[in-house]
Amino acid sequence: MEHWLYTFHLMDKSFTVNLDTLITMWFAMLCIIGFSFIATRKLEIIPTKLQVCCESILKLIWGLMDSMMPSDNRKHVPLIASLFLFILFANLMGQLPLRIIHIKEGELASPTNDINMTAAMAVIVLVYYVVAGIIKKKEKFLLKDFSFVSIIMMFVDLLEMITRPLSLAIRLFANIFAGEVLVSIALAATAYFLPLPVMLFEILVAFIQATVFMMLTMAYIGGATGEEH
Amino acid sequence: MENLAHLGAGLAIGFGATGAGLGIGIATKGLMDAISRQPEVAGKAVGFFLVGAALAEACALYAFVIAFQLLAK
Repeated sequence: MEHWLYTFHLMDKSFTVNLDTLITMWFAMLCIIGFSFIATRKLEIIPTKLQVCCESILKLIWGLMDSMMPSDNRKHVPLIASLFLFILFANLMGQLPLRIIHIKEGELASPTNDINMTAAMAVIVLVYYVVAGIIKKKEKFLLKDFSFVSIIMMFVDLLEMITRPLSLAIRLFANIFAGEVLVSIALAATAYFLPLPVMLFEILVAFIQATVFMMLTMAYIGGATGEEH
Repeated sequence: MENLAHLGAGLAIGFGATGAGLGIGIATKGLMDAISRQPEVAGKAVGFFLVGAALAEACALYAFVIAFQLLAK
């Protein structure tokens, strides 16, 4: 649960980074980059097995997007698909036996058990949907007209800009963190057999949380760029 | 003061888990209703159920984070 804090000084200010999160994050990113590189090296009309696998992931995301967002949604695929793949890889990394590699403090677990990581992703989503909404609707993004209902809705939207990233960040963080606490409690109770079903459940949770983050991102972008409010 | 923090942690996770349990129970009831009425939508309904259950469960996990912060003091 403890993180490996590293403090450095830059321009008379001290910054602290969580080194274990950084290491596992780059490991997850390397996994994704390597996977995508190998999968897209030789693209053919008659696809290989790996290409079929990637195409089905993309088809899954396209199907979800078509059901949740208005038309002209293909330009949002890069953000949504990379968020989904990264969160999935990062969550599943918590079940790898990386803890046997000893570092100075803390342990190598999934990077999403650090709230800084999930908060950064939530802020990216916030900025993305606000900018997408402004590009799509220009000055009518927040305030459609000057009626009473529109002004009330503007304040609700402004409030949602705070609560949406907060809930996105804490939901993902708390799920992964609670899973790790649960596994460690089960490990303390009986060492060999009780943690296994809990870890299987954590694999399910990893998929569900990645899907939930992706679907909520889609819903936010769809709500910001759609015609109706 | 520390004892009160422990009490608060227990109360927080207890009430949070109550709400999340109620929510997931209602969601499961809805899933059962839907499947028994229309068995052919089972695959699609389970997907939506899992997402909804994850959203309901998140409320218990907010309480868990609060409880953990109280215990870590």
